[in-house]
Amino acid sequence: MIETHDLRKRFAAKTAVDGLNLVVPQGRVTGLLGLNGAGKTTTIKILATLLRQTEGTVRIGGLDPVRQPHAVRKRINLIAGGERMVYARMTGRENLWYFGQLYDIPSRVLKPRIDELLDLVGLTDAAGTRVERYSRGMTQRLSIARGLVNDPDYLLLDEPTLGLDAPIARDLRKVVAELARGGKAVLLTSHYLAEVEQLCEHVYVIGDGRHLAEGTPAELITQTGCHRTVRVEVSGLTPEVEAAALAFDPAVRVDSAAGVVELSRPGDVAGALTMAIVAAGGTLTGLEIAEPSLEDAILALNDRSAVAMAQVAR
Amino acid sequence: MVVAWATLRRSWLVTRRAYPWTYFVGNLLLGVLTMGLAYLGLRVLGGGEVGAEFREKSGTGDYLAYIAVGAAALMFVKHCILWTGKAMIQEQREGTMGALIVAPARRLPYLAGFSMFSFTAVALEVAVLFGCATLLGVRLAPTGWGDGLLAVAGLALAVFGMSVVLSNVMIVAGEAHITQNSVFYAIAVLSGFTFPRPYLPEALQWLGEVVPVTAAMDVVRGVFNAGTGVDPGRLAATLLIGLLYTTAGFLAMPWAERRAMERSY
Repeated sequence: MIETHDLRKRFAAKTAVDGLNLVVPQGRVTGLLGLNGAGKTTTIKILATLLRQTEGTVRIGGLDPVRQPHAVRKRINLIAGGERMVYARMTGRENLWYFGQLYDIPSRVLKPRIDELLDLVGLTDAAGTRVERYSRGMTQRLSIARGLVNDPDYLLLDEPTLGLDAPIARDLRKVVAELARGGKAVLLTSHYLAEVEQLCEHVYVIGDGRHLAEGTPAELITQTGCHRTVRVEVSGLTPEVEAAALAFDPAVRVDSAAGVVELSRPGDVAGALTMAIVAAGGTLTGLEIAEPSLEDAILALNDRSAVAMAQVAR
Repeated sequence: MVVAWATLRRSWLVTRRAYPWTYFVGNLLLGVLTMGLAYLGLRVLGGGEVGAEFREKSGTGDYLAYIAVGAAALMFVKHCILWTGKAMIQEQREGTMGALIVAPARRLPYLAGFSMFSFTAVALEVAVLFGCATLLGVRLAPTGWGDGLLAVAGLALAVFGMSVVLSNVMIVAGEAHITQNSVFYAIAVLSGFTFPRPYLPEALQWLGEVVPVTAAMDVVRGVFNAGTGVDPGRLAATLLIGLLYTTAGFLAMPWAERRAMERSY
């Protein structure tokens, strides 16, 4: 398990992480979400032993990365989508071989693992080509293979599918899900929120380095009270129907020319709104309900945090 | 040792692919040029002889042998600094520093791998330089093979210690060019590579003592030029200051690496 307690990281000009408490258990993918500059990458780099926290504690499998970095590094790995992390003038296979040596993996284990990883990321045919001749996506795929070369117990994924083609990204998501099912602890940051909804059982949302919310993706949407949007298409949208809709809720938006009535509310208002329209003589020709997304929830949480900060500042 | 050998192999692969053969020819020509200029200088300015003052201060009258040994040692030192000292900043520039730090490999075998490569790479250049020197009539006569090995090992330790410290300076400053060139000029002046140190003002001679390769060069000169063999006091100074630099460099390295990672914020 990865645990942080009251984690803080200050740089000269700003506080990047401000009192984070995280728990990343084995056997599941945990998400860490937030807008740009929220502190996600800093948090991941602290967990990866690349940075040291200013305050607070970190434990990875019971080990302290500050006092036992060597032992921690044997059990973790980091895949960062925004960074290359492989050698340009070496081939894909040579890169994996070299990193295998850095992890002191015996040859009898390393050779088949390299073949498996190259196959996994779809680089078997390009294994003997120098990385400088790879496309960006191929380089990223090799970087993913590098991150798995030591079969880590704790996998830190910082935008791992950035720049990947859809099929490879889909395959990677399958691999990540399998790794978690196999008992590994995975911490994921991603701007692709569909990816997070698909993979993560538990999500932390942070903003300005602070904890904003946590829960399953569904719980986060519920917690934030994000609005569902009901869109009703009406044949013969008369002034009486329009008046009835507005009487039902003044927030209703009516487009008489298109024959559309729309309403955004946190709860389920579709039934009541359609009943009111029908009762006023309208004929329904279509009904759409747009559920709030995780993206809506993240944006709502961030907006609330910004408002709260502004109030504190005042 | 696994990491050292792997890093040696990696350096060989990368160097072979990164640099055209003309790069190696250019480096080899440096040896030819150095000996050629020394020969011309001796003939044109000195009439083929060196003065009594040079004999007294250098401990030898064989100017060309003095230049050959100094130039070879300077090549050796520069290569080690360029490979070992710049290894980490090269990782930083290539975007692989994070992947390297996350791995559990120790820095000692990693940097030793670069040093092993630099020693191998410089061997050919030194051989060409001594080949030219031989054609010009220079006959090197070390006081013994054991003495020769001790002198070279001392120089290797001294420059390794300097490289470890310089590695930290480079990644913290995020700059290699000024650092390496400042060091190259400083050691060329202070450490007895190109002229006898007693020509320097006394203050600069003392300043030279804080550079590990200075004492190492005194040992090298004693063995390869003056014929006095290994000076135990200077060898002890080489080991002491070389180990001091190496230890201090490795102790400061985790801090330097974190500073380097933080600089990107």
